[in-house]
Amino acid sequence: MSYLDQSIFEIHQAIINGLVTPLELVQEALKLAKEDNNNAFEYICEKEAIEQVKNLDLSKKDNLLWGIPYALKDNLSTKDIPTCASSKILEGYVPVYSAEVYQRLQEQGAILIGKTTLDELSMGGSGTTGHLGKTYNPWDPKHKHQIGGSSCGSAAVCSAGIVPFALGSDTGDSVRKPASYSCLVGLKPTWGRISRYGLFPFAPSMDHIGFFTRNCMDSALILSVLAGHDEKDSTSSTVPVDNYLDIEKTDISKMRIAVIDEIFDSVQDKTIKDAFIKTLNILSDLGLEINHVHMDDKLCRAIYPTYFVISCAEANSNNANQDGIKFGTRYEAEDYEKVMFEARTNGFSEPIKRRFVLGSYALLKENQEDLFLRAQKCRRLIVNCINEILKDNDAIYLPTSPTIAPLFDGNKDKLSNEYLIADNYLAFANMGGQPSINIPIGFKDGLPFGGCFTGRIFEEKTILSLALFLEKHMDFANKIAKKENE
Amino acid sequence: MKKVNKEILKEAANKMLFDMSEEQYATLLKEFDVILKQMDLISQIEGVDDVEPMTFPYPVYTTYLREDVVKETLTQEEALKNAKDVSHGMIKLPKVVK
Repeated sequence: MSYLDQSIFEIHQAIINGLVTPLELVQEALKLAKEDNNNAFEYICEKEAIEQVKNLDLSKKDNLLWGIPYALKDNLSTKDIPTCASSKILEGYVPVYSAEVYQRLQEQGAILIGKTTLDELSMGGSGTTGHLGKTYNPWDPKHKHQIGGSSCGSAAVCSAGIVPFALGSDTGDSVRKPASYSCLVGLKPTWGRISRYGLFPFAPSMDHIGFFTRNCMDSALILSVLAGHDEKDSTSSTVPVDNYLDIEKTDISKMRIAVIDEIFDSVQDKTIKDAFIKTLNILSDLGLEINHVHMDDKLCRAIYPTYFVISCAEANSNNANQDGIKFGTRYEAEDYEKVMFEARTNGFSEPIKRRFVLGSYALLKENQEDLFLRAQKCRRLIVNCINEILKDNDAIYLPTSPTIAPLFDGNKDKLSNEYLIADNYLAFANMGGQPSINIPIGFKDGLPFGGCFTGRIFEEKTILSLALFLEKHMDFANKIAKKENE
Repeated sequence: MKKVNKEILKEAANKMLFDMSEEQYATLLKEFDVILKQMDLISQIEGVDDVEPMTFPYPVYTTYLREDVVKETLTQEEALKNAKDVSHGMIKLPKVVK
């Protein structure tokens, strides 16, 4: 039996009862990390983890995360630990300061055992564009299906049972979608709820730090540790933090749930639709009011292009510092502009350059009004619509994705409703900053899929309570890919 | 709006200080067919130009000031740690004035 397969609460109890020590846990996690065949790690923190575990403060033993191994997406700064965001341009970069989330976890005594792969610089949703190549889905031992991205490595290590939780980031759906593809709970809290100090920015007006766990209570626990104001991040909120650990006590029976018909109808897969309806029935049987609401079809189809234009444009500014001079791979040339030009030409991969070109095109003087500013205006209409729905409803609930994890070589019709709406609607919660959570709700052909609750800003407790209720009525919590595949 | 062709894409890339291969520009130009159709979906939204652009998810007001106390900052050694060519406490670049 591996304690790493259990929930954080169970592992903590095992430590308290003397059944396992933090050193044993970390050694096992490091062993599993070295055996990982999903290409999920950028860096395994063997030396650092062993040193930390040997210096653990015994007086903090009662902290629920004390001695618990975990992993961080490699776009979170970790002082003296290499961090390259899976980009060639940052190979060899070693941060000189740490992300706030890393510091908070270290203070609790959690042990970082590795930095995980991502789509290069968090720009992508396939888990294929990092400099180390594809990251695989532990639920598919034949390695034909993606795990999604951009937080591919963190999803892989959590679902493979290497660590009980892992942090990621979510700018469009980069925590919730991989969570759906790998039978995990993936939470993106409200924009501003968690400090982003030390996160490599992609599109800061939509970037969120989120995390993967294998059950909802663990998710509530990680949120309770990470939530709260940080003066180092001026966008982190001073709104008081709720007690997330008592979500079991929340009375959800009077809550109202909205299903946006235009989004649900764009899902084609019958297995996913049926499983979703089954979960709706579980909620309505308890007495919750299920409201079928509408969103203008054209507005639904505009979510993805709006997200894409804004994120690509913001990404250009945020990656202007990648010059190969102050940090990253240096290329020699006859003048400083050419040094930068060579570093960026050789350091960014083709998919990243394509996004930058689109962002640059949208920001050209002649195009700004028609593309960038119009996208920002459309963002307001989308967010207004979602907030209007949430005025009368406690949460919006929908299938997280229209399919199970896609094949690596699969093609999608990028103008279809399934692609534009069902596959990309999750970004509305990035534009509006609402908290949003994926929980597993079914399997098809051995691969998992999820449902997603989105709530009002700063009402994480509501969506965690709803997710926990469903979790208790299904059998998908704490599933480990390797066990199911054996 | 500026019409898309290979030269425009190259201009957009070079403004961001990088270049792509001829094949990559050709692939991107094809992709722009779809991308522009997707962009056009935004223009079809009724009333889209009647609202103000949105730059943050909700209004953010930073009303506090940090205390005026001395805090640790990066040392020179730390600030230069990741630069590949350093001389006399400065990052070395090719000569600007020749």
